[in-house]
Amino acid sequence: MESPLLFWGVILWMIVWGAVGSVVLRRRYLHRDLDTTNTVFVGAMSGAALGPVGLAPLWLTTPKLGNLLIIAPALLTVFLIAVAFSFADPDNICVTSSGFVASQAVNGLIIGIIYGFMALGLTLIFSILGIVSFAHGEFYMVGGMLVYFISAVWLPGVPPLVAVMGACAIAFLIGAVFERLMLTPMYRGKIDRPVEYGILVTFGLAFTMQYFVQAVAGANPVKAQRFIDFPRMRWPEDSDPIWVKTSRGGVTLFEQVSVSNPRLIAAVTCVLVLLALMYLLHRTWTGKALRAVSQDRDAAAIAGINPDRMNMLAFALGGMIAALAGALLVQAFSWLPQVGNIPAMRSFVIVVLGGLGSLPGAFLGGIMVGLVEAAGTGCIPDAQKAASYIPAYGMIVLTLTLLLRPTGMFGRRFAAGTHGKF
Amino acid sequence: MMRQVPNIAAVLFLGVLVAFPFVYTAGDYDYVMHVLITAFFYAILASSWSMLAGYAGQFSFGHMGFMGIGAYTTALFCHYLWVADAPTGLCDEVEIFGTWFIVVDAIGVTSSTLTQDCLREALAADPALSVGRMPVLLGIVLGTVMGGLAGFLIGLLVLRLRAAYLALFTLGFSEILKATISAEIEVTRGQAGLELPSLYESGITLLGTTYDKTAKLPPYFTMLGLLLLCLGILTWLARSRFGLFVRALREDQDAAAALGVNTTRYKVLVFTITCAMAAAAGAVQAHYIGIITPNLLFLLQMSLVVAMAVIGGVENFFAAAVGAIILQVMLELLRNSFEVGGYEIDMTIWRLVFFGLLLMITLRFFRNGLLAPMIEYFTRGHVAKETVARRQAAEAAFEAGREAGR
Amino acid sequence: MIHLTVRNLHKHFGGNHVLKGVGFEVKGAELIGLIGPNGAGKTTLTNILDGAIKPTSGTVYLNGERIDQLEPYEVARAGLGRTFQVTRSFRRMTVLENLQVPALAMDRGESRAEMRDKAHDVLEFLTMEHLRNEFAQALSGGQQKLLELGRLLMLDPDVIILDEPFAGVHPKLMEIIYAYIRRVNEAGKAIIIISHQMDSIFSLSERLLVLNFGDLIADGPPEAVKRDPAVIEAYLGSDEEEEA
Repeated sequence: MESPLLFWGVILWMIVWGAVGSVVLRRRYLHRDLDTTNTVFVGAMSGAALGPVGLAPLWLTTPKLGNLLIIAPALLTVFLIAVAFSFADPDNICVTSSGFVASQAVNGLIIGIIYGFMALGLTLIFSILGIVSFAHGEFYMVGGMLVYFISAVWLPGVPPLVAVMGACAIAFLIGAVFERLMLTPMYRGKIDRPVEYGILVTFGLAFTMQYFVQAVAGANPVKAQRFIDFPRMRWPEDSDPIWVKTSRGGVTLFEQVSVSNPRLIAAVTCVLVLLALMYLLHRTWTGKALRAVSQDRDAAAIAGINPDRMNMLAFALGGMIAALAGALLVQAFSWLPQVGNIPAMRSFVIVVLGGLGSLPGAFLGGIMVGLVEAAGTGCIPDAQKAASYIPAYGMIVLTLTLLLRPTGMFGRRFAAGTHGKF
Repeated sequence: MMRQVPNIAAVLFLGVLVAFPFVYTAGDYDYVMHVLITAFFYAILASSWSMLAGYAGQFSFGHMGFMGIGAYTTALFCHYLWVADAPTGLCDEVEIFGTWFIVVDAIGVTSSTLTQDCLREALAADPALSVGRMPVLLGIVLGTVMGGLAGFLIGLLVLRLRAAYLALFTLGFSEILKATISAEIEVTRGQAGLELPSLYESGITLLGTTYDKTAKLPPYFTMLGLLLLCLGILTWLARSRFGLFVRALREDQDAAAALGVNTTRYKVLVFTITCAMAAAAGAVQAHYIGIITPNLLFLLQMSLVVAMAVIGGVENFFAAAVGAIILQVMLELLRNSFEVGGYEIDMTIWRLVFFGLLLMITLRFFRNGLLAPMIEYFTRGHVAKETVARRQAAEAAFEAGREAGR
Repeated sequence: MIHLTVRNLHKHFGGNHVLKGVGFEVKGAELIGLIGPNGAGKTTLTNILDGAIKPTSGTVYLNGERIDQLEPYEVARAGLGRTFQVTRSFRRMTVLENLQVPALAMDRGESRAEMRDKAHDVLEFLTMEHLRNEFAQALSGGQQKLLELGRLLMLDPDVIILDEPFAGVHPKLMEIIYAYIRRVNEAGKAIIIISHQMDSIFSLSERLLVLNFGDLIADGPPEAVKRDPAVIEAYLGSDEEEEA
């Protein structure tokens, strides 16, 4: 970085005014007895983006904090950080090469879709059962492992689709059995602190699954074959640059943006399954029952829905979604028993960012985290350092979200009526 | 009498631990001692975590992060600060009362020989220069203070967060810390690890026997002493108003506040104290091991602490500490792989599978852990009988009063 | 002497004007009933007095000290205690420990032995002495309610607010609660009882406050309040028209 002082100076300025804004604006709204839900976030963001200039009008007029006032300062803050960065480090590839930025953005978007899909499972579990599953990463890992073992060891030569579906089915089963055996006492009020119980017991499941797989499959990385090869093609034939160019292993757009085959396949599948899931949730009786339970458990029970069955379904379905994400990505990354740790953390980040229990929030959050990670890995000058910091980017987003706006983007204040306070 | 059983058992257990290093003489002495020292280390973490999570109801998943703050504070302190009797002319240095305090420049892991920093160069140029380390104890104290300070700040930040959100926030804190330590290689040397002086670098004489710096006995008693100190402080806290208030806080924060309990203060205090304990354990362990890497902050380590506390009994820090010691020893005993029908069972992994299963089964069927109910059987076993007896006595007195009145 | 002064309290929640200038005074060991239809602002008023929420404007003084901007624990120490509508005992603490919390929080310089004696008296009075070492979660609903009242005795505030003390209580328990209220009152404490059970509240209280849509519409002896046209309208509005 050419002039780091400039960049860090701007960041420091933003942090100071953001902190001032978050405190001052909340006080002000509290004092005037106005709705304070969004004040901390808006205060922090306007303070960070515009400093006293942004805070003064808010302080004076205390307007109703609608969507525009929530989103605009946040976007402005991000934009200003980017501007400060480009001034501080004018030779950075993120500033000089638009092709690189486009490539990073597209890849961030694609991986973000997969992240969001995986986080969807976590948020589904939370919205119905009211617990954060710490075993989500292990379901992801098991999904990938199963695809590898089915397609390469147990039944060599089966089509990848069968392997993926087999992995999903087994993960679904694991989830259902675990829920029946371990989570049922939660619903009977036998447990004093169900939220903590849920965290700890899924933590135990994660531990067991991870080492079980390591004991059975060994600690050496495995990798599955590419599911399908793309046909080679160029379109249009004679233009320069060529708009779309495919090879067996990937797609290149405008000779700038290249996306690898496994990632593209995974993202497309995720979108398709997501659409199927939306259909399930909104158009079938089971899906409506699930949503009803997530809104109000007791009312749903009175309406003739068995909430316990829905719990089992939600947990199994949530685990299966993570397993599917793993099953699709096993062709892109090499697979270890510990491979689920980072995606699990990332899912936590995404669901908190999107709002615990919110399905669209999880998807949007996934895309945002994908983009942030792409920017983080692509633009930080020191590549080695950047790689070490990858897990931290998300966690910074997580801690900031919890501090500024614990409900996330779309969270309900008391999500999932099931087990009380959060 | 029954009520004294757990106390007697505790004294006996402690007696065994104290006598053990003098009685045990087998060939694997050093290994066994190492296992026990590590067990004490986990016992401190598990018992302080049980105070935080079990007593105060603050399920923090960042406990290992605070441990790491303690360990890295003392590591950085002992690694970068030196004292000399004369200026080196190469390093950043400052003179205080005729002693030169030297700050060694951070060179990361670029040098394989480790002779490129200013102090080594100065020493090579001037062999007469007398250089000394900072005292290890000061490093440990600093680490403890830093851990407490971090706990204080995190405690302030999480005041409004409950349950799942608290767990995620503290986990996030711990992960950020781990990533930072892994990434800032120039200062922390990343995965290569920071080397530290031993606890007793120049040896120590105890009861007429001199132990050199690799001997296991001094660190054994140091760690055991720290464990006892922590348990002592925790007991004192639990029996004083502090223990009562944090439990009230766990049960119902609003009701506690309405009865005059300053909930904010006790929430922050419990974070500060338990995190300082974790940091102290980390600092001592770092000096004992002699090298520290960010791997100590892996979630696996946190899982071990949580599992030990839960299996022992999360609402009783004695049970958590004893549980940690027993489980750590058991985990080591189970290390031996064996063969069944020509197929080798790799116990180094399978033991962890059983550990996870044990954790789940404990949670599911023994809600208060495995040890805590045993203690409770002795300390509270009489309560039900007593309640009935009291009620009958009260009724009898009432009847007698009526008889007399008639 | 106990002196609680509430002056011109206003509270807005967004656009909802919940309290519209409520003011009253409590002097000495008064036994006051606070009634009003649902949504009248009783709970909001309690929460403001207790410090859980801050008023938009207006002041509350207790014995000369301003308490409307204090935190709940400071209000408790200043001498105002309350129960909750839903019983909130510390479930996994013993009955004795439940009683120790307020005693220790107040820190009046009593010795542990003195506190134990006091707790003993309180438990005797509540007919719960035999349960002293049981966990609160082992108690019945009624006993938990008594335990909550017991904690207030240990806190020993000057002003006690009882939120629905008679809801879901069987006659024998009712007797104990009656005795409790009389005892506390005779000890020179002011009591404000919020209840929907008109019989109890009319027979017990010496003075009634009536809230309706955030306004204090009546303040006086029960007999006078009963005949107050504003109160009749608030409570029996449509009935009166029928009679007419």
